[in-house]
Amino acid sequence: MKYRLKILEEMVDVNVSHSDSDQTMQAIIEGREYNVHYQNVMDRCFHLDMNGKLTEVFVAAGNQGKHVFVNGHSFFVQDADQLIVRSSRRKGPEEIPGDITPPMPSVVLRIMVKEGQRVKRGQGIVVVSAMKMQTTLVAPTDGTVKKIHTTVDAKVAPGDILVEIEKEIVDNE
Amino acid sequence: MTMFKKILIANRGEIAVRIIRTCREMGIHSVAVYSDVDTAAAHVLEADEAVLLGKPEPSESYLNIERIIDVAKSTGAEAIHPGYGFLAENPEFAKCCEAAGITFIGPPSSVLRDLGNKTVARRIMESANVPVIPGMIEATHDIALLCREAEHIGYPVMVKAVAGGGGKGMRIVFHPEAMEESCISAMSEAEKAFGDGSLYLEKHMKDPRHVEFQMLADHHGNVVHLFERECSIQRRYQKIIEETPSPAMTPTLRKEMEKVAVSAIKASGYINAGTVEFLLDQSGQFYFLEVNARLQVEHPITEMTTGIDCVQQQLEIAAGNPLRFTQGDITHRGHAIECRIYAEDPEANFFPSPGGITLYREPCGPGIRNDSGIYEGFEVPMEYDPILSKLIVTAQTREATRRRMLRALRTYVVLGIRTTIPFLIDVLSSPEFVKGNTHTGFIDHHFENWSQSREDEDAARIAYVIEEITSHGKASPKVSKKGWPTPWETLGQWRM
Repeated sequence: MKYRLKILEEMVDVNVSHSDSDQTMQAIIEGREYNVHYQNVMDRCFHLDMNGKLTEVFVAAGNQGKHVFVNGHSFFVQDADQLIVRSSRRKGPEEIPGDITPPMPSVVLRIMVKEGQRVKRGQGIVVVSAMKMQTTLVAPTDGTVKKIHTTVDAKVAPGDILVEIEKEIVDNE
Repeated sequence: MTMFKKILIANRGEIAVRIIRTCREMGIHSVAVYSDVDTAAAHVLEADEAVLLGKPEPSESYLNIERIIDVAKSTGAEAIHPGYGFLAENPEFAKCCEAAGITFIGPPSSVLRDLGNKTVARRIMESANVPVIPGMIEATHDIALLCREAEHIGYPVMVKAVAGGGGKGMRIVFHPEAMEESCISAMSEAEKAFGDGSLYLEKHMKDPRHVEFQMLADHHGNVVHLFERECSIQRRYQKIIEETPSPAMTPTLRKEMEKVAVSAIKASGYINAGTVEFLLDQSGQFYFLEVNARLQVEHPITEMTTGIDCVQQQLEIAAGNPLRFTQGDITHRGHAIECRIYAEDPEANFFPSPGGITLYREPCGPGIRNDSGIYEGFEVPMEYDPILSKLIVTAQTREATRRRMLRALRTYVVLGIRTTIPFLIDVLSSPEFVKGNTHTGFIDHHFENWSQSREDEDAARIAYVIEEITSHGKASPKVSKKGWPTPWETLGQWRM
């Protein structure tokens, strides 16, 4: 079986053959070979023998991926084939909106722009706050504020489009 | 000897749990207070009684003085323990407690008022011959004055907020050209954070060690110290690792600093548990920084090495009892280190990482203590500061303690949110930490562009696959998700 697994921005092919009956698996990752024997010792915890090295790993389901803990490090691993592709909302080459979305679950503190306002790349658009830390979300490009989809005090999450910015196309002719 | 029968804990998270534990052990009935998002929080579950304060915004709940006093009255609590942060150093709150006939477990409101104003604190110390960092003893809004004073003190200078704390309203200025702008931004930050934008200056010290002394003072004139803690490993002025004893301490230096710490406490009229903070420069000179007029986050390392329960001492002092030991009775054994575990993503510039904890396994073994405010299944709210727990480890020597802490960190499983654990592992493994070359510039110098080690990535990929094949398509996530499941979740295991 072949998996294409994503950690952060990196996608890596994992070729696997396994045997349920004796709980073994052979994996080849970017040319690295692993002979694995695994045991599900308790809830979401596996004891692995990888090429003779013993490791305990923990795996918990997450949103569109799994959280894995190994030796003090945690990784969010996703199956690239199972990721839901976000609809691009592109209307055409002339209108490419820039989406302002928060990097973490947070509360909107201040909206610094109005609909129809022209903004420059890097200009502050929305201030959000989480765990006593304020972050200013900035315009990714020069453009015009097309629509504001949020209000002050709204609770927002990554993926929520707070403000749409219509990118300004500079005529180079 | 008297003791309270019922105490209200005006706080949340790990410190509220910590205080409730001592109350339990002393047979004192505990009252927890909480906001809407904390209805299933650990401190609420641990207490004998719990009362809802209101909405999650701190002003509606944990900072709501009127409401908290009302709850204390209606539940019959005789005293309030404010923990740290929130109302712990708020003189108004202490005064309201005093007026309501409820004992505030901490120093008198007048002392909180004096020590909360950093320039008043500096003046008190100067007049008691406590060495202070060269700088201003009057705060001001006058930026031109600040610029002149900076010339007088000599660059680099630290611009600081008089009502400040936690690094807010602070700027280091190396050159006169940056001074005006730094003052303007510090002033605005301080105004927003503390309601007071006035600033003062101190000479900036290069890579000092942050060394503090834990003090106890009762109502009968007894003042003792419980030795020092070094808290130099900081990120953006937030402490992340603390240890005792300080690697830089010598018996002579300790004797000098303890004397000064005692003078500082006596000069300010301090009662109850407090900490005198110093900066120790590279030549061995030390200067008063401030008094932290509360129980501090890092108090457990003192508890581990002295065997004294600081919360218990706070309650005894507040109840009017004299200290049961003298300075000569207090000893310090072994070494202890604390790592603060924050809900932050160290790979994303330490952005806060609130959310649901899907898997949680605490480290254990000899010499390990974990003061935690979370558990598996808990939704860490976004409204409060990101401290999840404190991992405290003790052993006979510093090196043994360091290794024990590494073992503990590597077995501390927190999944579902990001934590600073991988970062802490690398800090504690670094050669400079091993040598004890710690100072407040440590993180900036050695860990500026840190990213998590990738050596376990293959193991993570293999673990993913194994979980996938052994769960045979049981796809629904443990953390409850709102809305209808998508076909991707219900389709089950399939492969091309």
